[in-house]
Amino acid sequence: MTTERILCPTRGGRRSFPNQDRAIALAKERGAELVFLHISNVHFLDMTASPVLVDIEGELEEMGEFLLTIAQERAEKAGVEAEIVVRHGEFGKVLRQVIAEYAISLVVLGRSAGGAGVTTPAYIEALSEKLSKELGIDFVVVHEGEIQREYHGSQDDR
Amino acid sequence: MTRSHRKAMQLTVLLGLAIVLGLAAALYWRPGAAQEEIQGFLISGEVRDVQGQPVQGVQVAAWTTSGDEPLAEVESQEDGSWALILPGAPISQLRVEITRPHFSPYTVTLEQPELQQLISERIYRVGAVTLERQITPGFWVAALVFLGVLLLIAFEKLHSTTAALAGLSLIFVVSYVGGAFNPGWFIFTFERGLEYMDWEVIFLVMGMMIIVNVIEGTGIFQWMAFQAYRLSRGRSWLLALILMGVTAVASALLDNFTTMLLMTPISLQIAVALGINPLALIIPEVLASNVGGISTLVGTPTNILIGAYAGIGFNDFLINQTAGVLLALAAMGGYVLYHYRAEYRKQGGGISRKLYKKLEKNAGLENREALWKSGVVFLLVLAGFILGESVQMVPAVPALVGAAMLLIWLKPDVHQMIKAVDWTTLVFFMALFIVVGAIQEVGLISIIAGRVSTLIGDNLVLGVFVVVFGVGTISTAIANIPLAASMLPIVRFLSATIPGANSQVLYYALSMGAAMGGNGLLIGGEANLVTAGITQQTDSPISFGEFLKVGLPVTYITLTVGFLWLLIRF
Repeated sequence: MTTERILCPTRGGRRSFPNQDRAIALAKERGAELVFLHISNVHFLDMTASPVLVDIEGELEEMGEFLLTIAQERAEKAGVEAEIVVRHGEFGKVLRQVIAEYAISLVVLGRSAGGAGVTTPAYIEALSEKLSKELGIDFVVVHEGEIQREYHGSQDDR
Repeated sequence: MTRSHRKAMQLTVLLGLAIVLGLAAALYWRPGAAQEEIQGFLISGEVRDVQGQPVQGVQVAAWTTSGDEPLAEVESQEDGSWALILPGAPISQLRVEITRPHFSPYTVTLEQPELQQLISERIYRVGAVTLERQITPGFWVAALVFLGVLLLIAFEKLHSTTAALAGLSLIFVVSYVGGAFNPGWFIFTFERGLEYMDWEVIFLVMGMMIIVNVIEGTGIFQWMAFQAYRLSRGRSWLLALILMGVTAVASALLDNFTTMLLMTPISLQIAVALGINPLALIIPEVLASNVGGISTLVGTPTNILIGAYAGIGFNDFLINQTAGVLLALAAMGGYVLYHYRAEYRKQGGGISRKLYKKLEKNAGLENREALWKSGVVFLLVLAGFILGESVQMVPAVPALVGAAMLLIWLKPDVHQMIKAVDWTTLVFFMALFIVVGAIQEVGLISIIAGRVSTLIGDNLVLGVFVVVFGVGTISTAIANIPLAASMLPIVRFLSATIPGANSQVLYYALSMGAAMGGNGLLIGGEANLVTAGITQQTDSPISFGEFLKVGLPVTYITLTVGFLWLLIRF
């Protein structure tokens, strides 16, 4: 029997801890493995006139790994096995790829605490609803560690 | 010593010798002055605009009353002077027509007394002629295109290079197509547009891109940031000051955009390790990078533009600007410590050994061989900047020599290295030069310069104040490269008209205003935007308001220090 896998896309850092904690709690409750995912996107360089002489994707990858290692250590401290994945690209697209690649059954998605995230709650809800129907897996939308909404596969939300 | 080390040492000595020999040869070589004997009858004069500035490229033609073709034609020089040589003695009335697009034509008629003087002395001086500006439809097109390009860049509606290219295309289309139907629409020819291109800037930026690309790959700046973390032993305030210093020095030697691309990810990790808000380290760094860059010629694109335009060398920036920049950085450091005092008092719980090792690895030196080789070449390039001035060697030459040395010595993948040259940036500069050239050509710059000159009068202190704070304030929202490029002709005009301004103080004022003003708003500089972009990949994004709270006070503190420094220095 394969172990269930929960995916927690996170930006890392202290403001992400409450949502990470919720994912850790859900993983513990279900006896699932946790996959922390950091997605970076260098679209912000598209409008610059200055030369990009740095392997910025490489730098962001190292940064993402560092931030996710903190999340991994916190999960392991709580007795949950966690894996870390760092990717680049458009958020929705990469999310789809990782869900398929790691056979994810539940995604815990939310904004960082204190309104610090760059995505809006409406975007997160719309994406969760769309992907849960499209991929037939569960999504839990969280904010500051509290569950806001759940989307179950191709069924209607509760 | 291994064979490869011996070979490397020999190559270093040879390259060093080549540079020294090159400098010596340039020092002792003097071209012989061409001796020309004037044949015929000479009519000379000079052309100025209403502000008394010389006008270059004016067509001057001598006509007889009956002739279908001019007896002689010539273009005025950079200093506005012109000299017509008539092959034979004129016998009847002579007309000298002085014309240039965007100016009202002027005619000088030589009657018998003047002709007699010309025949007897074989020379006649017309004297200075003042041409009046003409506001043509081409004037409005050039002005609107320039404004449009600025707005497209400011609001990020188009990539800067695309915006500048679209602008120059429109200028040439209107000039050629519109100008064919109505001369009033003409702005300038393609050839005239190319004359506004500053190739020294292009080659200096290109050479530095190759050098920076090698240096950045060594991980030296990330390593320095990690050493700062170790040295500060958990004292966040000390770490912030050291990181500001590292960033300022790195910006002075490379460029602030690249510096922030390198420093932001590692600083963010260090802040997380310390348990403080990453912005308390990163925002001071970006502020320091914007200011630190102006201490040298190669630290910012605006300094490169100013240096090439005004002939201000590497040493001039070091002598006249570096101390002022250090004072401004000290004042900035004081404000930053005050602003983030609560954050710096926080004590984090520390990080695990695993995380510490990861941080150490992320900040490690990546290619020690490339590091020492690029270090040697970079020092030679710096020496070239400093010593080259004595032989009138422009800074682009040591930069290109250094780039070539690295390509020969390190033998990197040349295709990869040439790809490292960011052509979009170089094309942006080229297109921008032509767009700014268009507003110069039609007289917009001259009109603005005249108005500013009327405001300032003969008061140099007021001039420095207006340039430092005026440019500084505009630069909070407008990209400083196009701003500096368009301000240069204005500053040249002011430097020529305000008593005492020939010390080039106004160019230094422009450098300080353009760079320090970039700290005012998040949109004020590309280093700010790219830093914000990187922080958006984490849960601590820099918001417009957060940046404003620190950046705006720092802007006016540093502008004040810079202004006072220029008053003391000049």
